[in-house]
Amino acid sequence: MQDKIRNFSIIAHIDHGKSTLADRLLQFTGALSDREMREQFLDKMDLEREKGITIKLQPVRLKYKARNGEEYILNLIDTPGHVDFTYEVSRSLASCEGALLVVDASQGIEAQTLANVYLAMDLNLEIVGAVNKIDLPGAQPDLVKQEMEDVLGLDKEEVLPISAKLGTGIEEVLETIVEQIPPPHGDEDGPLQAMIFDSYFDSYKGAISYIRVFNGSLRKGDIVRMMSSGKEFEVAEIGVLSPYMTEVESLSAGEVGYLAAGIKNVKDTRVGDTITQASKPADKALPGYQEVKPMVYCGLYPLENSDFERLRDALDRLKLNDASLFYEPESSDALGFGFRCGFLGLLHLEIIRERLEREYDLSLLATAPSVVYKILLTDGSELYVQNPTHWPAAQKTEQVMEPYVKASIMAPNEYVGAIMELCQEKRGSFITMEYLTSQRVMITYKLPLSEILYDFFDALKSRTRGYASLDYEIIGYETSDLVKLDIMLNGEVVDALSFIAHNDRAYYQARAIVEKLRRIIPRQMYEVVIQAAIGSKIIARESVKAMRKDVLAKCYGGDITRKKKLLEKQKEGKKKMKQIGRVEVPKDAFMSVMNIEND
Amino acid sequence: MGVYIHIPFCIKKCNYCDFFSIPYYDKSYLDKYTQALLNEIKVRQQQMPTVQLESIYLGGGTPSLLNGQELKSILQTITHEFNLLPDAEISLEANPATLDKIKLAQMEGAGINRISLGVQSFFDDELALLGRVHNAKAVLETIELFHTRGWKNFNLDLIYGLPGQSLDKWMQSLKQAVDCGPAHLSLYLLQLEEQTPMGKKVAGGRLKMLDEDDEWYMFDQAMEYLEGKEFEHYEISNFCRPGYECRHNLRYWQAEEYLGLGAGAVSFVNGSRCINEPQLQQYIDALSTGKQWPVKELENMSGRELMIDALILGLRLCAGIDLNQFKHRFGVDITSDYKEIIAYYRDRGLLNIANGHLKFTKAGYFLSNQVLCQFMA
Repeated sequence: MQDKIRNFSIIAHIDHGKSTLADRLLQFTGALSDREMREQFLDKMDLEREKGITIKLQPVRLKYKARNGEEYILNLIDTPGHVDFTYEVSRSLASCEGALLVVDASQGIEAQTLANVYLAMDLNLEIVGAVNKIDLPGAQPDLVKQEMEDVLGLDKEEVLPISAKLGTGIEEVLETIVEQIPPPHGDEDGPLQAMIFDSYFDSYKGAISYIRVFNGSLRKGDIVRMMSSGKEFEVAEIGVLSPYMTEVESLSAGEVGYLAAGIKNVKDTRVGDTITQASKPADKALPGYQEVKPMVYCGLYPLENSDFERLRDALDRLKLNDASLFYEPESSDALGFGFRCGFLGLLHLEIIRERLEREYDLSLLATAPSVVYKILLTDGSELYVQNPTHWPAAQKTEQVMEPYVKASIMAPNEYVGAIMELCQEKRGSFITMEYLTSQRVMITYKLPLSEILYDFFDALKSRTRGYASLDYEIIGYETSDLVKLDIMLNGEVVDALSFIAHNDRAYYQARAIVEKLRRIIPRQMYEVVIQAAIGSKIIARESVKAMRKDVLAKCYGGDITRKKKLLEKQKEGKKKMKQIGRVEVPKDAFMSVMNIEND
Repeated sequence: MGVYIHIPFCIKKCNYCDFFSIPYYDKSYLDKYTQALLNEIKVRQQQMPTVQLESIYLGGGTPSLLNGQELKSILQTITHEFNLLPDAEISLEANPATLDKIKLAQMEGAGINRISLGVQSFFDDELALLGRVHNAKAVLETIELFHTRGWKNFNLDLIYGLPGQSLDKWMQSLKQAVDCGPAHLSLYLLQLEEQTPMGKKVAGGRLKMLDEDDEWYMFDQAMEYLEGKEFEHYEISNFCRPGYECRHNLRYWQAEEYLGLGAGAVSFVNGSRCINEPQLQQYIDALSTGKQWPVKELENMSGRELMIDALILGLRLCAGIDLNQFKHRFGVDITSDYKEIIAYYRDRGLLNIANGHLKFTKAGYFLSNQVLCQFMA
C-alpha cells in the first residue's frame, strides 16, 4: 500500500508560482473539474486571495495514474513563501518525504528559495527542481538551471522546465515525483503514531486536525490519546482532502488526512503533538516541532471595551490554526484591557489582526510593534521587555540589549552598493559577501531586529528595483544605546504610543512621529498638543488647532436626506476613533507611528 | 401648505455648483418643461383637494429665465387649482443677468412679491472665480431697478470663504450688500464639492481653500456687523429685517409640509418624503403623455425619523426648538432622551437651553454637525 503513496510539499520564494502550480496539479489529476477550478484554489481565506499570497499551509490528496499504469496517491502540501511563515513550511516538510522546489525563470534563486531548500535538506527530503514561468519574455531557464546546480547542488539536467500558468510540463512534474520521491515506509501494524501538523476550529465539528500517520492505523470510533496531555477522545470522523473533505474508513501509515473528535477545548489539540491509540499506545511521541519564538510584539485592544472576552475567544480559536501566535492579557491606561501578542514578523501581525477583524467581526486597535529587549538591572537581575511601558527607569538600568539578526540579502551584483548603504543606515555591520554565480551575490549583515522589522524590506525593494530578497535569523542579544520615547497628548503620556529608539536617532524620530500624529489626528473641539519626551525632557512638540468649522451652509427642502446621510457617516467615523482622555485618536494612529519613514 | 417649484435651467453652470441643472440653450425645452409643470400642478392637486397655500417658492436653477407668459401661466394655474391665501408669500430666485425693467414688471404682474437675488460678491474677480455670468455692475443696476419700482421684500445671497478671499474683502461685500437696503440676507459659506470645476482645481492644487479659522472669522465678523445694523439672525445662514423672514423656508426648518413640483423636486406630505423623477426628459414624457405623476422615490417615514428630522432642522433656527411644543408634537422629551449629549455640548459652550428652547450658541452654529451627528441612530 505505502509504495503507491508520495508525500511532498511545494516550496519556493514568494511569487514564484507555487499556488498556480498546485492549481494545475489539481486540474491535471482530475481532482477538480474545470467548472470547479478557480485561481489559487488552495488559498481558502479571502485574505490570501486578495493579497495573492499563501499564508496557511494546505494539504490535498491527488490520484494520479502514472505512465507505468499504476495509480498513485499524491499528498501535496502547498506552503507560504514569505519569511514570516517559514514555520508553516517547516511543519509541512516534516510530514513529507520530498519537496517540489519551484524557481521563477526570470527571478532565479532568491533568499527564501535558499532558506526553504536548507529546511528540506535538514530533513533529508528528496528535492525535485522545477523552473517555472518559462513562457515569460524575460525567462532565462538555462541560466536559472545552472544557478540551481551551482548554488543548490541539484543536477541541472533533471530540473524540469514548466509554465504553471499555461500548464506546460505538468505531467513531467507528476512523473518525476512518482519516480524520485521515495514512498513512506512506516510500520502499518505497529502502534499508532500520527502527527498533528495543523488544525482549525469548526463550529459544528469542533477542532479539525490535519494529521500525517507515520505508523499504525486509525479508524472511526477508535479511542485516541494525545500524547502530550494524555487526554483521550473518540474519533468522530476521519477523512482526506481531495480537495474537499471526504470521509474515509481508515487512515494508515504513510497517509495524510484530517481527524475530528469532538474536541471543543482548543488547548486539547496542539500542533506538533502525536496521536496514538488508547488501547495500544506507542512508547514515545514523534519528535515534535521546535517551539517558535515571536520576533515582534504589539498590544491588541478591542475598540469597544466590552469586546474583551470576544477577543480572548477569537485568539484562542486562531491559536489553534496558528501555533506561532502568542498572547497574554495586559492593560493600558489609555486603552483599557487587551492582549500583548507576539508575532513572527509584521506581515504576520497584519494578517492576524485582519483575520481577527474579519473572521470574528472585531474592531481592533494595534499599538506600536516592539521587539523584546533584554535589560540588566543594577540589582543584578535580568529583565525582558516586550512592552515599552515596562521599560525601567534609567537609574535602575545597568545595560540594555536588543536582539540582532543575521540577514542574508541576495541580489544582482549591480545593487551591492545600494544594499550596503541601506544596511549601514540601519546600524548594520558587514559580515560577508559571496558570489553565488557571476551575477548574483549574497551579502550577509548583522543588523538589529528592530531595524529590519519596520520598513527595511520596503526600502530594500525600492533601492534594488525589486531584485533583492531577504532572509534572516536571530543570532542573539547585543548591547545598545536605547531610550524610551513617550508621546503625550495634552500633557498626558499615552502609554500605548511609547516606543524604544536608538539614542542617536531619538530626536529625529520624535520629531517625525509628532509631525505624523499632527497630520493624522483630526481637528477636535479643543487644541490638541502633541509632545514627545525622554523621561521628563520634552524633545518635540506640535499642535492640532481646535476645530472651527463643521457645518452645512444650506439646508432647504431637498437637502435633509443628503444631510442626514452625511451626519450618519460622521457618526460612523467617530466609531473608528479611540477616545483617550478628551482626545479622539484614529485607531490606525498607533501602528502608523512606526511607519514614519515611508511617508 | 407651501409649494416649491423647481426650474432646472441656467445660462451657464457656476464653478462651485453641483446641483442638477442644464444650460439654457434650447428655448423649446423650457416651453415643454413649463407645460409639464402645469400638468403636474393639476395631477398633484387632485391628491390634496382641500389644502390652502401659504407660500410659493420658485427656485432652481434660474427661475428668472422664465418669460412673463410662462411665469403667469404657472402662477395662474396654481391659483386656479389650489386655494391660495390672499397674503401668501410668492418668492422667486433671480440671477442679475436675467433681470430688466420689463422682466420685473412681468414678475410683478404674475404675482411675485419676494425676490431672492443671487449676488454672491461685489467684486468682479470673485464673481469670475465663481463662474457667475454677471458682474458687480449688473448687480447694482438690478438693485437700483428694485428701488425704482418700490421693491422692499428682496433678499441678497452672498458667498464667503472663497479661495484667496481676505476678511477685509468679504466685509466690503457684506457692507455694500447692506447698503443696498435688502430686507433679507443669506450668507453661505462656500461648500466645496469634489465634482465641480472648483473642486477639481482645489484637488489639483491650483486653488487653495481658506483655513477654517479664517472661515470662522468671516462668519463671526458678519454676525457682529449685521447685529449692529439691526438685522435679525434667524437661521444659521439667514438674516433679515424684523418681520421679513422667508416664510416658505421657515416651513422647512419647522418640519412642516411642502409640495415640490418639477424635475427632482422633493415633497414632504402626510409624513412621507418623495422625490420627483430628476431626469428632465423622463419627467416631461411622463406628464405630457400619460399625465402621470413621475415620482421616483417615496419614503414613508417612521415617527422616530420624523422626530430626528424635526430636531436637525429645528436646531438650524436661532430661536431653537420649543421643547414643550416638540414634546407635544412627537411625544419626545428631548432634554431627558438626549440628556447626556445635551449636557456634554452645553459644557463645551455649543448648546444652550433658555426659556424652554434648546438652541445653538453663536459658537455652536459653526460646529453644529459635531452635535447633530450625535442625535443620529
